[in-house]
Amino acid sequence: MKVSLKWLSEYVAVPEDLQAFCDRLDLTGTGVEGAETLGAALDGVVIGKVLTCEPHPDSDHMHVVTVDVGAEEPLQIVCGAPNIAADIKVPVATIGAELPGGFAIKKSKLRGVVSCGMCCSQRELGLGSNHEGIWVLPEDAPVGQPIAQYAQLSDTVLDLEITPNRPDCLSMVGMAREVGAMYQEDYANPLEPMAHDLDGLTDGPTVDASVSVTIADPDRCARYTARVIDNVKVGPSPDWLAERVTAAGARSINNVVDVTNYILFLFGQPLHAFDYDRLAAADGTVSIVVRPAKEGEELTTLDGTERSLTPDMTLIATPERPVALAGVMGGLDSEVEESTTTVLLEAATFNPAHTSRTSRNLGLISEASLRYERGVDDNPIDVISEASAALLAAVSGGTVRPGVVDVYEARTEPKVLSFRIPRFCAMMGADIPRDFIVDILTRLGCTVADTADESVLEVVAPTFRPDLEREIDLYEEVLRLWGMDRIEATMPASPARVGVRSAEQRLADVIVDTLRSAGLNETMTYSFVDPHDSDALGLDDEHLGEAVELINPMSSEQALMRRTILPGLLHSVAYNLARGSADVQLFEVGTVFSTAEGKKKPKERRKVAGVMAGAMGPKGWNTERVPFDFFDGKGVLESLARELALPKVRFKALSAEEAPQLQPGRAAQMLSEGSVIGWLGEVHPAVAQRFAIDEAVVAFELDVRALTKAARAARPYKDVSVYPASTMDIALVVDEEVTHERLEQVITSAGGTLLEDVRLFDVYRDPEKVGPGKKSMAYTLTYRSADHTLTGDEVEKAHQRLMTKVSKATGAEIRG
Amino acid sequence: MPPLSGSTKGIKNRLRLPSLSTEVVPREPSLVLGWNAGSFRERKKAFLLAESMVRKAATMGVSEELAQLQEETLAAIAAAETTSALEEVRVRVVGKSGTLTGYLRSMGSVPKEERALVGKAVNEARNCVEEALAARKEALAAAELEQRIQGDAVDVTLPGRGQQRGTRHLINGIIAEVSEIFLGLGYTVIEGPEIETDYYNFEALNAPADHPSRSMQDTFYVLDRSGDQARVRGESDVLLRTQTSGVQVHAMEDRPLPIYMIAPGKVYRRDVADPSHLPQFHQIEGLVVDEGITFGDLKGTLDFLCKQIFGEDRKTRMRAHYFPFTEPSAEVDVSCGVCHGEGCRMCKGTGWLEILGCGMVDPNVLEMSGIDPERYSGFAFGMGVERIACLKYDIPDLRMLLEGDMRFLRQF
Repeated sequence: MKVSLKWLSEYVAVPEDLQAFCDRLDLTGTGVEGAETLGAALDGVVIGKVLTCEPHPDSDHMHVVTVDVGAEEPLQIVCGAPNIAADIKVPVATIGAELPGGFAIKKSKLRGVVSCGMCCSQRELGLGSNHEGIWVLPEDAPVGQPIAQYAQLSDTVLDLEITPNRPDCLSMVGMAREVGAMYQEDYANPLEPMAHDLDGLTDGPTVDASVSVTIADPDRCARYTARVIDNVKVGPSPDWLAERVTAAGARSINNVVDVTNYILFLFGQPLHAFDYDRLAAADGTVSIVVRPAKEGEELTTLDGTERSLTPDMTLIATPERPVALAGVMGGLDSEVEESTTTVLLEAATFNPAHTSRTSRNLGLISEASLRYERGVDDNPIDVISEASAALLAAVSGGTVRPGVVDVYEARTEPKVLSFRIPRFCAMMGADIPRDFIVDILTRLGCTVADTADESVLEVVAPTFRPDLEREIDLYEEVLRLWGMDRIEATMPASPARVGVRSAEQRLADVIVDTLRSAGLNETMTYSFVDPHDSDALGLDDEHLGEAVELINPMSSEQALMRRTILPGLLHSVAYNLARGSADVQLFEVGTVFSTAEGKKKPKERRKVAGVMAGAMGPKGWNTERVPFDFFDGKGVLESLARELALPKVRFKALSAEEAPQLQPGRAAQMLSEGSVIGWLGEVHPAVAQRFAIDEAVVAFELDVRALTKAARAARPYKDVSVYPASTMDIALVVDEEVTHERLEQVITSAGGTLLEDVRLFDVYRDPEKVGPGKKSMAYTLTYRSADHTLTGDEVEKAHQRLMTKVSKATGAEIRG
Repeated sequence: MPPLSGSTKGIKNRLRLPSLSTEVVPREPSLVLGWNAGSFRERKKAFLLAESMVRKAATMGVSEELAQLQEETLAAIAAAETTSALEEVRVRVVGKSGTLTGYLRSMGSVPKEERALVGKAVNEARNCVEEALAARKEALAAAELEQRIQGDAVDVTLPGRGQQRGTRHLINGIIAEVSEIFLGLGYTVIEGPEIETDYYNFEALNAPADHPSRSMQDTFYVLDRSGDQARVRGESDVLLRTQTSGVQVHAMEDRPLPIYMIAPGKVYRRDVADPSHLPQFHQIEGLVVDEGITFGDLKGTLDFLCKQIFGEDRKTRMRAHYFPFTEPSAEVDVSCGVCHGEGCRMCKGTGWLEILGCGMVDPNVLEMSGIDPERYSGFAFGMGVERIACLKYDIPDLRMLLEGDMRFLRQF
């Protein structure tokens, strides 16, 4: 909402100190988003006194003058105006000034004489049409003063943020009332005097002789009034009117349209002016119907767009055709034009919800729809209509048909509310005096009365404040104008409350800490994904569930909600590699989404995903650069399993079908006690290339819920033996197919209670020494007893037994 | 303890002593320094000296012999340049088959009446030699240690052995910080879904369908697979939450009173990503519902929060505002940390930085969740986490938060 302070000050005292005024507006709930000073275009134009005036030596009509503009030296100016003379005061555009139309003043030579500025006419300053000659100012005009200031041309226009609960503030009168309440000052409402102006402007038969209005659905239109103005001459607006609507942010179009906009800005009441003759039937009468649109009915609105309508939208129509989209925009073919002589003036109110939906459905927001969807008061419509007709007749030379057609289906009654002062004070935590409460509510337009209970006020809320429906709404009014800064800061006094973190939150912290300890950096990526991303991964609905689709995405590349975090992380890997960061270690904990036919709310799951590309760091003076591979990722997950005390963790190879995003043979599923936790592997090189990555990327994605469900509070305690251990190394030559997991299982079960630890320390392949298709797996076995020192014989026996069993179970050849 | 031996074909066996065994006893530094410490020439010199002492002792009277031996030994000790050379002297003289030890061994061949006298003399000599040995050893060891330390010196400005501790994302770091503050105030941290129905995002928050306040946020709508139709084309009953406030409703429906909670989380609004906007960002919602909660409590709590986050010297102010689910409502500004209220580029000349929205819970909202607004009151607030990140770190472009650039992430 643009508010001209010059305009506003006609109705209420506006403080001199602009900064303080803006601060007060801000603090009381009217946000100031900007302040623009109009008249700035006349910078550099000041009042000057002509000291000397000589004829130009080389011209028969020009003069050379010297002008005092309050500077140290008078300016020499060549002037061609006939009325220039010595001792007069004139506006002088000095060098550097820019006149309306972009005409810049420069030092120049006119027929050989230097001219350092320009004496201006009114028209040259954009202040009217008088171009008879130089604008001669009164003798008392102060030399050197900017002309904008002198002629009160400058105006400050504030750009105010009006919250949706305050339709009343979308008007100058509403803002005047608000400012009056802010400073506890009176304001003047111009409505009544303006309505009185209609006396003497009426002529002809009464309006109801020729105009009828029918409201088909009172729910959509509570009140509709029509007046007719005859003998209208459509033309430019008078300056004051054009200035007002321009300051309010509209374009001056013609006197009729400008009056409707002026009234809208002044009172917040949208009006519509129809060309009467274009509505009239053959007999010269007009029948207006306010009705729902028919499905598919069409109307070309004022902006020239043909709109296809739905029954949820409301039309203003004649029996033949729609002529306006109620509350939003008029129709093109009943628009007031240059040739219009009779105007039908609509002042009405329409249902906020219908207006809002119509506006959203058509993507059409107008000054009218903005106000109707917030609520336009039906009560003063007839008076506003009267004032509008009077003004329209006055500026267009027309006459108003006596009377008004006023179909009033549903009157909004004022609400009567109680205001319990002690409750108010208790809830605010402040003692706010009764007098202040009464004064503020009254200034806001309420009627305040005492009740039998001295601590309770009876408040009648004005109908232009639809937001004042309940007692609490009144509390807000008083508090904001009392000043929130005056309330003492306290803390809730409740004695018994404890802040707790859920087990899941604590475990989530453990996950993040563990991944960070493993050198991974937390990141965040978009929840939106490109539909092509899952194709690029090779994953389909079988793997991921059906994707959640956005109806109104920002772009087609962000049309779906992610079903896996991996694509986002791969994009980040590519982003880093492209920028020369060769070593990338990232993880993200975030939500993924999926849905299915018939489901309203999609399923949300939290995932933790990571990617590792390059190495942990560059080669250093004392460290080697070790490129990441599958086992770096696995190590991270093993740490996670340890920190979360996951029981019975296994890694199972995944096939190309199960995990198409991963390189077959370097892909695994993580399980705990048989439940799937997630996957891990090296990203398939073909997949990586689709994300513009040309190197190995280790990746994993785990389900946070599965992790936290599997997590144990702690591992069971095992006694620390005080007896010495004995270690034996063993090398097993086995077929390639025999996994480490299998050997470890067999060794562990064969080792019995004395075998404390099994550690793989070497894997060796050599077709000649080990044999083709075979590998040598070397383990260090630790034997220890919890209750005595093992003798050599005991260890020897246990070890022999173990070797026999392992060999038998796996076909392992035992070697040195 | 006897060593274990298990000789299995082809397998190397090892013995590991328990950690409490004799292996724990530190080895003498002299042995450690041993053969590396002195030159061959020094060692030979000490050896020859000891030899000559033995030869002389055989031709003299016992007490003269002892005196001479002691004197020569002390000279040898003083001459030893290294701990290993000194050790040789010790072995020659007082070792198992040392010259001085020899006197004690051969005591049997000393006439009975001389035995006490000779024994005393031998012991005196031995004590004297051992004292000298000990003193010399200490001096030599200190010198050798000093030498070794000098040789071990490194350039301490060389980089440490590479280790990488991963970093926390700035936004989650701030969420953790704020959560910590509120846990300390007795609040519980809860979470809610990112995709909500219209009811939880708007309606239960006192913003019914077509309410003008809805236009304050541009909403992402999700295709409703249940078959329900929205009344406005392009809208839906299912949406990406535009605010974390929906968690308030879930909390009031599900939790016993009183409620003291915060709910951090991701929210979505249809804004084109640019340096100061993201279509997805984070909020932290706060809700208190209890008996006797006042607007002053809201003010005090947020004051505390701002001072904790931004520093004790920062001031806050409240500007009246409008939110459908709170009344009275306000926006909170914190004084600009750059100019301290003077006005600068950071605060766009106002001296204040907007950081959150808040208010007293609207009685309608309480009622819709089945809470009696006559008995209970409460306050709620919501702050933008990205906003705090910007204010604390002066991030020039919010999009950096979603790019995963290592050079950015590694800074936090």
